[in-house]
Amino acid sequence: MKAKKLAALLMSSVMAMSLAACGGSGSTGGAEPATAESTETTEAAADTAESTEEAPTEMKGSVEGELTVTIWDENQRPGLQQIIDEWSAESGVKATIQVVGWDDYWTLLEAGASGGEMPDVFWMHSNQAQKYMENDMLMDLTDKISGSDKIDMANYYQGIVDLYQLNGKQYAVPKDIDTIALWYNKTIFDEMGVAYPDDTWTWDDFSEAAAKLTNDDHWGYAIAPSNNQDSFYNAVYSMGGEIISDDKKASGYDKPGTIKAIQLFVDMVQAGSCPDLNTISESGADVLFESGKVAMVTQGSWMVAAFKDNEYTAENCDVAVLPKDAETGKRVSIYNGLGWAASANTKNPDAAWSLIEWLGSKEMQEKQAELGVTMSAYEGCSDLWVNCTDKFDLNGHMKMLEADLVFRPYSKYTTVWEDMQTEKLKEAWTGEKSVEDVCKEICDSMNQTLSEE
Amino acid sequence: MARSKMTSREKSEFIWGWAFILPTMAGLIILNIFPIFSTIYQSFFKTGDFGKGNIFVGFNNYAKVFADTEVWQALWNTIKYAIVEVPISIAISLVLAVFLNGKIKGKGTFRTIFFLPMVAAPAAIAMVWRWLYNSEFGLLNHILPGKTNWISNPNIAIYSIAVIGIWSIIGYNMVLFLAGLQEVPKDFYEAASIDGASGVQQFFNITVPLISPTIFFVLVTRVIAAMQVFDVIYMVIDNNNPALKKTQSLVCLFYKYSFTQSNKGYGSTVVVVLLMVILLLTVLQMIGQKKWVHYN
Repeated sequence: MKAKKLAALLMSSVMAMSLAACGGSGSTGGAEPATAESTETTEAAADTAESTEEAPTEMKGSVEGELTVTIWDENQRPGLQQIIDEWSAESGVKATIQVVGWDDYWTLLEAGASGGEMPDVFWMHSNQAQKYMENDMLMDLTDKISGSDKIDMANYYQGIVDLYQLNGKQYAVPKDIDTIALWYNKTIFDEMGVAYPDDTWTWDDFSEAAAKLTNDDHWGYAIAPSNNQDSFYNAVYSMGGEIISDDKKASGYDKPGTIKAIQLFVDMVQAGSCPDLNTISESGADVLFESGKVAMVTQGSWMVAAFKDNEYTAENCDVAVLPKDAETGKRVSIYNGLGWAASANTKNPDAAWSLIEWLGSKEMQEKQAELGVTMSAYEGCSDLWVNCTDKFDLNGHMKMLEADLVFRPYSKYTTVWEDMQTEKLKEAWTGEKSVEDVCKEICDSMNQTLSEE
Repeated sequence: MARSKMTSREKSEFIWGWAFILPTMAGLIILNIFPIFSTIYQSFFKTGDFGKGNIFVGFNNYAKVFADTEVWQALWNTIKYAIVEVPISIAISLVLAVFLNGKIKGKGTFRTIFFLPMVAAPAAIAMVWRWLYNSEFGLLNHILPGKTNWISNPNIAIYSIAVIGIWSIIGYNMVLFLAGLQEVPKDFYEAASIDGASGVQQFFNITVPLISPTIFFVLVTRVIAAMQVFDVIYMVIDNNNPALKKTQSLVCLFYKYSFTQSNKGYGSTVVVVLLMVILLLTVLQMIGQKKWVHYN
């Protein structure tokens, strides 16, 4: 997420120069942090460009005869606008995209939902979907989907379909999918005489290589502990552990595989092949990677845009599949996917559905991949995404689609136990407490939260 | 019956008086007073999503807050911040104001420079400082020997944050003090000089007592503002920062509960506790002022 921070820094300098514009008002301060800080697992890691605009103070509500589409990732806007423009040409309905940064997005959407003023069509995310579905804030698409010849839920990755389903009703059409892969710095690998990672690597090979790649100038690997999806979750599931049980009733932090995976990373921190928590919290894994301070990071496919625009990474880095576990033989990518949802009280229900149908159709899902917006949620539509940049061999990410895909663990109050988990794991990363003790505490506290859901 | 007899002049003053303060009143009531009561009201509920389905829980939230070590730690962090930020910023800005009130070349330029941080957005300031403090790439560690984790060492992070607070507020305090200094008659200083008082003696025996009402005003407002510190901490301290627990303020906790975790009832309770603490501090200062503030 450091790309955002960089962006925010840039913007900050601009703002500092055009001092008068911001008038030092409290409200600017309140709206702006969105650019700087989002430790949530978001598709839109690099929503840099919201910063080039004024921070929005409200979301546009639904207006009759015209569609308002709200998203949080500026990187995806040009491609999506192109797809939506084609729809407008066909349907004759105008549709405009509004970009609202990740943090503000949820605050404003909630305010809009409470006041009955939501955009027509917008993105949904696993952190929040259940809350919106339970409160009937989203249009029920079930009948529309069964009456459509373009949309069939069987065509999409199952985890994303399930995510937007409640009591047998479907509330959003899957938009995209992400995978996690191992990004590495070729220059450091060459310098230290280590062979590039490939699909034979196990987590043990990975940590050995990290040790070999460490010297006074750089570390072997940097973990982003607050972003679980692209860091330790993958190893947890690969080693046979779990974060939350399938019925979302119990924590998986008492599973030996979970403890083993976290121990792997804690050992790397203790051995010095992974920077300590202080360093990571001040300059995140991706910033260290982009400045040649670490040889490897595990990052999501949403970072491709940022890495390709960064001169250093474009020049020196490439991407490979994640390591597998020696015992279980499993290679796991934790995936997540956004959904296109419509407001339950939109003034244009037909147009909103027509647009969602368009966006979910096979052709447009292919187009989304081809334009390099993201990989698509429609199975088999992502092949063209590999060619969206010649800077990296994106097969590292593509091949992860064939690995064991595990949907990102969530429940109704995901953020509550995720915050707790981040907080408690700190004591493990710093070595204050043993991993087993920490995992036990997390397990107890998480079970407590889950029992209240 | 006699009370209702108003002369037409009184009547018109009454109407126009109200007419003039009505816009401000309306703004205050809608934007400040109503939310205060609505927050207090919410603190007695387990709030549901989207403001629907609130369940009355009485003092449960308060019982939870008082038993929550995180809240006490946050209160202590907030107080530590205020203890460092308020006195130091007042001392520095008072001295600056005295100098800039004297005969100095380029007075206007200096005043502008010191006031500039006040004009910049707090979030922008925080981002710049964050990079100055950065242990890997930061300017501070580049200049100073050794490697200090300014913002991730739990023992010093809150003070690093307070430095940002001091830096940003000096200009504002200075302007208030400058205004106060205009009220101090010049002949006091002349008389003191003739009697042989040095600059330092003049500062402590003439300037400070005579502008003590301004100092008191700045003190009260700054303590209130410092107790509400949020943006700097929110911007500088990451979620996975090991110093988070030792730096987050009560308002940070309020934000976390109310907006990140959508637990508005508990968030409201935290902020009502903060309100009480601020009220108490302000009352104490009001009582204490009799000892040192001189009105004429």
